[in-house]
Amino acid sequence: MEGKKKRLLVLYASQTGNAMDVAERVGREAERGGCPSVEVQSMDHFDPNTLPSESTVIFVVSTTGQGDPPDTMKVFWRFLLKRNLGSSWLEGLHYAVFGLGDSGYQKYNFAAKKLDKRLQDLGAKPIIEKGLGDDQHPSGYEGALDPWLMSLWKTLNHVNSTILPEMSEILHPSMNKLEHPKFKIMYHASSEVVQHDSHISDLKDMKNMIERARSMSPSLHGHDHGEPHYLLKMVTNKQLSKGDDGRDVRQFVLEPLASVVEYQVGDVLEVLPGQNPAFVDAFIKRCKLDPDSYITIEPWSGERDAMDSYVNGSSDHPIQLRTFVSRAMDVASASPRRYFFEVMSYYASAEHEKEKLQFFASPEGRDDLYQYNQKEHRTVLEVLEDFPSVELPFEWLVQLVPPLKKRLFSISSSPLAHPNQVHLTVSVVSTMTPLKRRRYGLCSSWLASLDPNKNEEVLVPSWIHRGTLPPPPPMLPLILIGPGTGCAPFRAYIEERAMQNLVESTAPILFFFGCRNRDSDFLYQDFWLAHSSDDGILSEEKGGGFYVAFSREQERKVYVQHKIREQSARVWGLLNAGAAIYLAGSSTKMPADVTEALEEVVAKESGVSREAAARWLKTLEKAGRFNIETWS
Amino acid sequence: MALVLTDEVSLPLRVIRDLKSEGLNEEEAVVITQCGSLGGKLSFGDAFFGTVFVLLSKIDNLTDQWVSEISRVLKPGAQVLLQTLLLPDNQAKPSSQIERKLLISGFVDVQSTDGSQSVLVKGKKASWSTGSSFPLKKTAKVLPKIQLSDESDLIDEDSLLSEEDLKKPELPLVGDCEVGSTRKACKNCTCGRAEAEQKVEKLQLTAEQISNPQSACGNCGLGDAFRCGGCPYKGLPPFKLGEKVSFGGDFLAADI
Repeated sequence: MEGKKKRLLVLYASQTGNAMDVAERVGREAERGGCPSVEVQSMDHFDPNTLPSESTVIFVVSTTGQGDPPDTMKVFWRFLLKRNLGSSWLEGLHYAVFGLGDSGYQKYNFAAKKLDKRLQDLGAKPIIEKGLGDDQHPSGYEGALDPWLMSLWKTLNHVNSTILPEMSEILHPSMNKLEHPKFKIMYHASSEVVQHDSHISDLKDMKNMIERARSMSPSLHGHDHGEPHYLLKMVTNKQLSKGDDGRDVRQFVLEPLASVVEYQVGDVLEVLPGQNPAFVDAFIKRCKLDPDSYITIEPWSGERDAMDSYVNGSSDHPIQLRTFVSRAMDVASASPRRYFFEVMSYYASAEHEKEKLQFFASPEGRDDLYQYNQKEHRTVLEVLEDFPSVELPFEWLVQLVPPLKKRLFSISSSPLAHPNQVHLTVSVVSTMTPLKRRRYGLCSSWLASLDPNKNEEVLVPSWIHRGTLPPPPPMLPLILIGPGTGCAPFRAYIEERAMQNLVESTAPILFFFGCRNRDSDFLYQDFWLAHSSDDGILSEEKGGGFYVAFSREQERKVYVQHKIREQSARVWGLLNAGAAIYLAGSSTKMPADVTEALEEVVAKESGVSREAAARWLKTLEKAGRFNIETWS
Repeated sequence: MALVLTDEVSLPLRVIRDLKSEGLNEEEAVVITQCGSLGGKLSFGDAFFGTVFVLLSKIDNLTDQWVSEISRVLKPGAQVLLQTLLLPDNQAKPSSQIERKLLISGFVDVQSTDGSQSVLVKGKKASWSTGSSFPLKKTAKVLPKIQLSDESDLIDEDSLLSEEDLKKPELPLVGDCEVGSTRKACKNCTCGRAEAEQKVEKLQLTAEQISNPQSACGNCGLGDAFRCGGCPYKGLPPFKLGEKVSFGGDFLAADI
């Protein structure tokens, strides 16, 4: 292993934070086992050029519902696919892969499977077979992780006993030795502080404060893109869905207060949700913290360069504790992880609480923890209230409380039609837990609670990002498929093209929409119909079309894929003229069903086989003419 | 061996002599009259006859079934001849009708001779083996070409997957959806299992239990982490024994 780094590197690609948790657990166990040098890194912070210089790497990768790797893996993965790397590029690298996926999907754990094969093809040697975590398992991915991890350590130890000199600590954890937290909190006197949060007077200060708070959070790991681009005010909050089947779909119209919002069709709005002040106060009170104190967060002395990337001179800008909790710590929505319960057990003074927490953190208690915590969507606040004898120091809370995450929304307006406004089409997320507790999505319900007529001071910290769907040029024919809230970006496309059509010639658009029935959730009904008549761009006269599938208006279910098959000749006609297909929505199976229908259309209209049609569509995808954007 | 078929009751011998004048020299011939009574089936094996001659009094008697039977008993490459008399009330040209029937059944070299009194249609059974057929749908076109940007420096990632990987994945723990196994309901459950899972076997709380909660086991007030499966207070926040139970609930719900 000449010239190779003598460390254990854990590289993860996480979409929602699960893979990151797994990676951190792998790193933690390695440290407990006495591994002299352990590093845990996100794949998008790692230069793939340096991979051959590593000796031992553990990969933890999630697969999204459509079989894709997480966004943070895209660049790394593209590098690994290069033809010219050669089959001995990774000679001398020992690795193992653990994947997180869901066997309810056809493309189960595809990212992990492809990675494992590619690494071998490039000359690396697997330590053990890949592990595949499955959301469908009764205890989630931990069902596969526990035995796989044990097998990994045993094999590593067998091959080279210097890697884990304290192997016994992994096999029989003593459970009375807790490692130290990764960070320490420095408290600053009020007089030291340059910028007092109570003196936030203008938008500029507010943006700065948000950035300072979030950049100090180690859990956000520098993934945060700095100050908000805009602080937007809600000017319209309109319910689009009617009827009593519990669905609540809103149109939000947001405007900047003192600037101009610039974006293009297809962009996404990233929003930092506000937390209910009552919950923030309850958390601070429960944890016996002083909300007015000023803090900075530093690495625990002895910690190496892992922290450098995101703690940039934070000691210059102390932040008010309450601000930090409110802007960076998710106290009343996200569920904590297994490790949170483990650490809690050390700080429980009541014996029955200590026992229960230790049980939850053990392999035997894994399923029970899953039922109590994940399935019930327990919040940090609820867990702390259920275990009242636990006094967790703030250092641990900073490390373990899930970070407050921003959410992405497709923008559903065109700046040509609505200058200086951003429109969103949002479904307020609502789930019923097994114990009949109703849980609402944090961001969607917070936005829904903003009353344009009342909340003068409540602003929405926002960022504009380029979307995954590039804006189509006016002469490109379009086939748009967007059932439910999938119609959001397409309202923007259609608005834009209608405006363009006033001054130049534009190509036709076929739009396929789907909903339950016209009385309850036919979103933007008037808008689509207006553009389908009077020579509008969705009208047949213009070569366009608007087709709706009402799934519940008749005995059998009718979905967008049925409408596509009905219109097979028109779809084929447009495809032959070079049209691009855009597909958007939130359903899990819809993209696969629609792809199938498109394959059938291509095969039927052109006379080729299904296989040839499927291959043709795949090529279309690679050429950027078949775009799929889905969200869960 | 030749087969002579007619739907007539009798067949004049002259007809057999006429066959010879057509240049057909079969040593032996089988003659079947009133063939309509056979129910469309011939009791001879496949590719038995070197020639089949059909004398039709009524064209309608030449059903598709008969044509395929005739084809069956004919040797590949062998001929069928059909003759029918021209009757004064024959409106449509009988030869084209017969031609069409032959063509549909796969006969080739179909041609007819229109005499003043009768019409003769000839056809040959295809000389390649059975199983080959003409595809009657439109010919496959080539799909429009798609321009790809230079992705040729990357390998095709789908080639990294095995046959096994591409199959539908097995869900963990064998168990039927209906049989109360540990398999979870799908995310977009349509069979009702998701709703059933949400129904918990819960004892209904009485007003008394809410205003003055007691607990024999001592755990009911501690919160869900400590409650047993059948606890009537499951789902509620922790409470103190004897004090009225609050229903907690979402602060957020009040805002919407």
